[in-house]
Amino acid sequence: MAEPSRNASTVAWPIAVTAGLLAGWEVIVRALGVRPIILPAPSEIVRVMIARHDVLLDNLWPSLTLTVLGFLLSVAGGIAVALLITYSRAFRLGFYPIIVVSQVVPKVSIAPLFIVWFGTGLVSNLMLAILVAFFPMTINAVMGFTSTDGDIHKMARAFMGSPAQIFWKIRLPNALPHIFAGMKISITLAIIGVIVSEFVASQEGIGYLIKLSSGLLDTPLMMAAITVLSLAGLALYGLIALAERRAVYWQPPADVGAGGG
Amino acid sequence: MTGSGGTALKNDPAADARPGPAPPPALDIRDLRKQYGELEAIRSVSLAVADGEFVSLLGPSGCGKSTLLMIAAGLSRASGGSVTIGGTAVTGPRRDTGVVFQAPVLLPWRSVLDNVLLPIEFQGLPRATYEPRARDLLRMARIDAFADALPHQLSGGMKQRAAICRALVHEPKLLLMDEPFSALDAITRDEMGVELLRLWQAFRKTVVFVTHSIREAAFLSDRVLVMGRRPATIVEEVAIDLPRPRQIAMTEDEAFNRHVRRLRRAIEENHG
Repeated sequence: MAEPSRNASTVAWPIAVTAGLLAGWEVIVRALGVRPIILPAPSEIVRVMIARHDVLLDNLWPSLTLTVLGFLLSVAGGIAVALLITYSRAFRLGFYPIIVVSQVVPKVSIAPLFIVWFGTGLVSNLMLAILVAFFPMTINAVMGFTSTDGDIHKMARAFMGSPAQIFWKIRLPNALPHIFAGMKISITLAIIGVIVSEFVASQEGIGYLIKLSSGLLDTPLMMAAITVLSLAGLALYGLIALAERRAVYWQPPADVGAGGG
Repeated sequence: MTGSGGTALKNDPAADARPGPAPPPALDIRDLRKQYGELEAIRSVSLAVADGEFVSLLGPSGCGKSTLLMIAAGLSRASGGSVTIGGTAVTGPRRDTGVVFQAPVLLPWRSVLDNVLLPIEFQGLPRATYEPRARDLLRMARIDAFADALPHQLSGGMKQRAAICRALVHEPKLLLMDEPFSALDAITRDEMGVELLRLWQAFRKTVVFVTHSIREAAFLSDRVLVMGRRPATIVEEVAIDLPRPRQIAMTEDEAFNRHVRRLRRAIEENHG
């Protein structure tokens, strides 16, 4: 079969290209003698990650906790609101347009307002994470719950499915691919929300560390913090993709990803 | 046009065949009308289908024959007239009918067997009792090897066979089929016709089969009702007296082609 070799090359090529880019970066920084404060070499970043892992980890946990908490609340709230929109005509007509239009508001710009309202604490950070992660989750879940085609509903009615049965046996499984697409968008946005709120006002977290090291002109530490953040984000996204593959077993993952991004 | 509908009623074979008080027809439609706003889709259709009979509704696309079937299935409301199944009025979907749609509409996350058992779950019937029956149906439809497969692993014809099994699993008395083979290629379509007759022969359900294929209607049916253009009425009724079991080879015979010619003429007179 051609499948395994194609799969191998889809993994091997990105790895090879990434390794090449990192090697090129390393070579150029060394050959031109670029100062670490401008651009540290990859090897320097790795060295700092190891040497200062305590600082990095101490600041990673608060960010990670907030991100996961904000994500979970967004998913729960998003699905709940999506159900209201799906099943309540009044709610759909009244709120769905607002939710869609609110998508164009650059929500992180509201961060300073949240500080006025909630102070410079965890609540403020959490609220911003939820604010940015909630709406894409809601919209994707609505798409999922409402995208069942008419034929399926006709079939379900013909065989005497009750509304509850139609929800659990048809609407919910049908919505799963969209819900996972929404979760993938939400997790990346929750990270952004947390980091931005930590830029604005915080005494801990990766966002705070990035801002602090920028002020100290400690570029290698800043790059190490960004790398740690990226790896954490990648791991969270990977966990969701893994759960998706198990839950949406009837659909190849490529098709599902196309639904949302 | 009401008169031609009345002819269909009088020709009810159950009434002719049995002495004494005849049992209620499996399906009895009287003076059925359907209006979508200004558009009159069905005008005064009357027909009766006897127990165990295989009747086709033949007509071109958009003539209202599918609408009629959906009303019989309780999925659409009539604007006037009456529809009774086994003597009781149709007010919505019911346990004693099974429906096969143009598309198989299988749930992609369920195995073929679980798809077939969906009506059992919906109707709160014991799975343990009906699973052997579902497996028997799959065996008869020759897709038992795919019982645990997901629908996307099946061909179009196999999916529609599964849909037919699903429509039969809860032991309905009446099987309503809405152009079930029209999405299939010609060769698969012929095979499916033979398979359907084999199942019908085994279970002796009453079948109402909507189609726009003249040959399909003639090959499958005891009786073909030809529907005229919208607003739909029944313009011709043809009894197909070919022997059963029917074989594909019979479609070469003059007797078969005589029926086909008669049906074609009826359609051309009303649509040409």
